[in-house]
Amino acid sequence: MVRQIISICLFLICFSVNAQQYLAKDGTISFFSKAPAEDISAINNKVSAVYDAKTKALAFQLNIIDFIFPKSLMQEHFNENYMESDIFPTSTFVGKVVSHKNGVANVEGKLTIHGEANTISVAGDLQVNDNVASISAVKFSVKLKDYKIKIPRIVMYNIAEEIEIKVNIEMKKQ
Amino acid sequence: MKKIIILLIMLSSIFAKAQDGLLSLLEVDNEPMYISSTFKGKKVVNGQSVEILSKGVLQFQIQHRFGPLLGQNYFYNLFGLDNSQIRLGFDYGIKDWMSVGVGRSSALKTIDASAKIRLKRQSKGSKEFPFTLVTNSAIYIKQYRWSETKEETFEVSNQLSFVHQLLIARKINRDLSVQISPTFVHYNLVNDTEKNDRISLGFGARQKLTNRISVNAEYFIQIKEKMNNDVLSFGFDIETGGHVFQLHLSNSPAMIEPAFIHETTGDWGQGDIYFGFNISRVFTIKEKN
Repeated sequence: MVRQIISICLFLICFSVNAQQYLAKDGTISFFSKAPAEDISAINNKVSAVYDAKTKALAFQLNIIDFIFPKSLMQEHFNENYMESDIFPTSTFVGKVVSHKNGVANVEGKLTIHGEANTISVAGDLQVNDNVASISAVKFSVKLKDYKIKIPRIVMYNIAEEIEIKVNIEMKKQ
Repeated sequence: MKKIIILLIMLSSIFAKAQDGLLSLLEVDNEPMYISSTFKGKKVVNGQSVEILSKGVLQFQIQHRFGPLLGQNYFYNLFGLDNSQIRLGFDYGIKDWMSVGVGRSSALKTIDASAKIRLKRQSKGSKEFPFTLVTNSAIYIKQYRWSETKEETFEVSNQLSFVHQLLIARKINRDLSVQISPTFVHYNLVNDTEKNDRISLGFGARQKLTNRISVNAEYFIQIKEKMNNDVLSFGFDIETGGHVFQLHLSNSPAMIEPAFIHETTGDWGQGDIYFGFNISRVFTIKEKN
């Protein structure tokens, strides 16, 4: 009897751990770079994300090839020459909410792009309720140099050394 | 004892989940991953590659071929640069899997119209396929003067020839791609000693030297009704954003399939080598989204 009760309790604990998690598979991450010759922008609508309200842990993952550019040649060069998506197919973020006041959260963690991981600290809106956790108004910049993304001199597009990234994700409770 | 073990296992599983399990929850869907950029250009050297323009993209191509690099008076003719011929071409992507093109070659005074259709893409992941398959079909018409049409023997159909190709390519790794191109050429008008239908097999390869520079090689072997020399060409592709520059050496100065596959008289061994280049520029007419 005692054994059964313990088992049930443990299962419930497992369950409650799960119940704190919010999950998304259709988040949006976009980036923008203003350059003299041509503005460069792309959007990825297939971002997976998970937030654990109990541990305050947050993680994102996306496929580099899911970034859609207005110009298909840019998309090809992005994958082939800059991101080398055949070698580094995904980009991830694993971090934690370090403070959360009045709906604004500060998140710290490891951002991995092009196989290079850097610690970043980003602020944005985080709303958590019973069914949905949503992240919006997140805007931050990354330096291409930090992720060893090389820009050769001969290319036509004058690519900015910093790229602005925006995040918009709505996660549903599991 | 047993209970403790069960307890430990369960606790450890909870612990693991809370610690590093977050990313593992995010298993990205195992969609088929299509292989792209098998070749840099829409042509390997002279012949078509499996690359197709994306939907809404217009490509303008300027092709130059010069006279013999060596041979008689090579210095007087500046290694053939004095005898240049040109082909201007426009290609447009109607769908992501289909493009059409028109062009005109100066020396042969031939207008061509072509269509490329992709049947299958090389892919890995949940749906694996080892090759990219593309068909290329083209029609060629030799230009004529109005006065020629008055001649009794003149028929428009005699000015026509056709090409049908199946292009089979595989990107072996990120640097090396190979292609085999079974090719059928039909001439409406031939000499008494020649046959109208010709069959050949093309071989192409590209090896990337850097992300933006590659060397290409191409060889067409005439299988049926061999009339002239087989064409062997080497190319050097340089990509700079919207442009691709292709420099090459070949034993044929021609730029259209019937001519370079079946009408090549040059011989590498005799020094009949022609220098040429293609410059292609793409314009995005219709943007995505």
